[in-house]
Amino acid sequence: MKKTSYIEAITETLFEEMERDERVFLIGEDIGVYGGVFKATKGLLDRFGPERVIDSPISEVYIAGGSVGAAMVGMKPVPEIQFADFITPAMDQLIQQAAKMRYRTGGQWTCPMTVRVCCGGDVGGGLYHSQINEQWFFSQPGLIVVMPATPYDAKGLLRSAIRGDDPVIYFEHKRLYRWIKEDLPEEDFTVPIGKAAVRKEGSDLTILSYGLMYHRSLQAAESLDKKGISAEVIDLRTLRPWDMETIMESVKKTSRALLVQEGSKTGGVMAEISATITEEVFDYLDAPITRVCGIDVPAIPFAPPMEHFFLPNADKIVTAATRLMEY
Amino acid sequence: MPSKSATKKAKPDKPGLSEEILLGLYINIVKTRTTDERLRKLFRQGRFAGTYFSAVGQEATTVGPTYGLRKDDIIAPSHREIGAAITKGIPLEKIFAQVYARSNSPDKGKSHPCHYGDRELGVIHPSSTVASQAVIGTGCAMGFQIQKKDNVVLAFFGEGGTSRGGWHEALNFAGIHKLPIVYICQNNLWAESVPSTKQAGIENFSDRAKAYGFPGETIDGNDLVLVHKRAYEAVRRARAGEGPTLIECRTYRWYGHSEIDPADYRSPDEIEYWKKQDPVVRHEKLLMDLGILTVEKRAAMVEDIDQEIDAAIKICEAAKYVEPEEAYNDVYSEAFPVRRNDNIDV
Repeated sequence: MKKTSYIEAITETLFEEMERDERVFLIGEDIGVYGGVFKATKGLLDRFGPERVIDSPISEVYIAGGSVGAAMVGMKPVPEIQFADFITPAMDQLIQQAAKMRYRTGGQWTCPMTVRVCCGGDVGGGLYHSQINEQWFFSQPGLIVVMPATPYDAKGLLRSAIRGDDPVIYFEHKRLYRWIKEDLPEEDFTVPIGKAAVRKEGSDLTILSYGLMYHRSLQAAESLDKKGISAEVIDLRTLRPWDMETIMESVKKTSRALLVQEGSKTGGVMAEISATITEEVFDYLDAPITRVCGIDVPAIPFAPPMEHFFLPNADKIVTAATRLMEY
Repeated sequence: MPSKSATKKAKPDKPGLSEEILLGLYINIVKTRTTDERLRKLFRQGRFAGTYFSAVGQEATTVGPTYGLRKDDIIAPSHREIGAAITKGIPLEKIFAQVYARSNSPDKGKSHPCHYGDRELGVIHPSSTVASQAVIGTGCAMGFQIQKKDNVVLAFFGEGGTSRGGWHEALNFAGIHKLPIVYICQNNLWAESVPSTKQAGIENFSDRAKAYGFPGETIDGNDLVLVHKRAYEAVRRARAGEGPTLIECRTYRWYGHSEIDPADYRSPDEIEYWKKQDPVVRHEKLLMDLGILTVEKRAAMVEDIDQEIDAAIKICEAAKYVEPEEAYNDVYSEAFPVRRNDNIDV
């Protein structure tokens, strides 16, 4: 066992997977000599050389589309999008090529690749370095979307993504990079794509979240315990395809669902999950489904009071949970 | 008109190619033309759905570069590259199957009539997002370079495609890394309804290559021998690790953007001029002048092709559509079957 931070887990996994499989290569902005703006790829250029750790020009279309092409001829690309805010030019390639390659070719051509996307707020990043836009990819069949919340999952999901046969958008939350540390087993392990984790069992309500919001939810659940409210906390981990079974089982047990999401509320991941809960287990509900989400503004604003106003936090979750219990 | 670097026209009496290659090019261009004209007819008769994008008039730009590639080389075509698909070896039966979108279609009826592809033959099924094949084709070339293989990629697009951002990002990257790729720009003067003068402020689209540090040339795209020779040289360079080339082939599509486009934005004089530059007739005349093609030989060849086409149509029209539930397949690998949500059971 070794104490490992979230970003160390990512760096180690990239190193190990590149050692393990010579088809794996990295491409992105500032990932080589500089080691990445957050140092996620530090040391990899020295070990694997410029052919497998490619410092790209500022070309997100090519980073994504070039990776699609390389994957089609048998490589295992792990492109990096430096900030989720800058993924928009790559959307054309990710949505029109990556997500549809297998489908439009009758399964003949495929593009297994893992797009690492650094996302998320609560870091003072301002309008263009805090964005979290997983819902755009969540709504696109053909893509797999994950967002680990812990170092263990950062490693296990990255391994599953790289070793798999599908295009994966791997969202890593920058607030978690150096905040969370965890003892990780030395041996090879993976975290299956498509499986949520019940992190804390409870009987009164289900709090569902992912990424940074999982930690806020857990914090809230601990406060709720003190108030005599037993919250079950689930970390979704994979957003597409999401783990319907685990969520529905939990809601059937607790009869109350509180859904927490960092990004803007309207049209988000939790909107879909909320609709599905009503379709599947409506009869079990004792109260309306409640969401605590980012507000519906173009992105997370910069000034600290506004950023905090935008973001869900433990206090907001506790307040919503308390109201939900009083329904 | 051609840029400085363009090669002079090959002289008809000395094409500098073997009889075998000259005839091989001819068979492919006649096959392409005959198939294309038949598909136009079938569409007008309402025998398949959607629409059809004819490439009649510009076949030399696809047959010429593709002819002579290795099976493990990759072509990244667009929707008007039936000539590339046929020349790379896709049998006519599969061409018609793609158009008819029945159970025997390579994509199981999912994509579009003109999106011919075949992984075994190194043909990437196109998408309709313009010039994206240049982006993913460049990625294929990057993969080959990392793998230290000597395979080459040919990417096709029109002059309109060179206006897209992704096209520039891809060529920029290819120039930095000297990737093994040849870019074939088919400048047919019209991007759907927009003339090439509204597409760029330069006359020769091949000049764009200068910005990316590799050679570009503008050539007569209706001269099959010339197109083949220039592309073949570019492929040789790419295979030898000498980097990419951009070849702009001046050509013309005789008909509309698709069969539902009357193409009345073009003048009759312009169409007439270009019909006189017919690449099939020009190549045919060359072969006749050289004495390696006779009227009888040509008739026999066309008859063989017609028979192949008739057989393909028969098979495709007899085939059934796939069950609609096929829509759920090939979304992900087997690890992630799609959960049905078609409401049929509700």
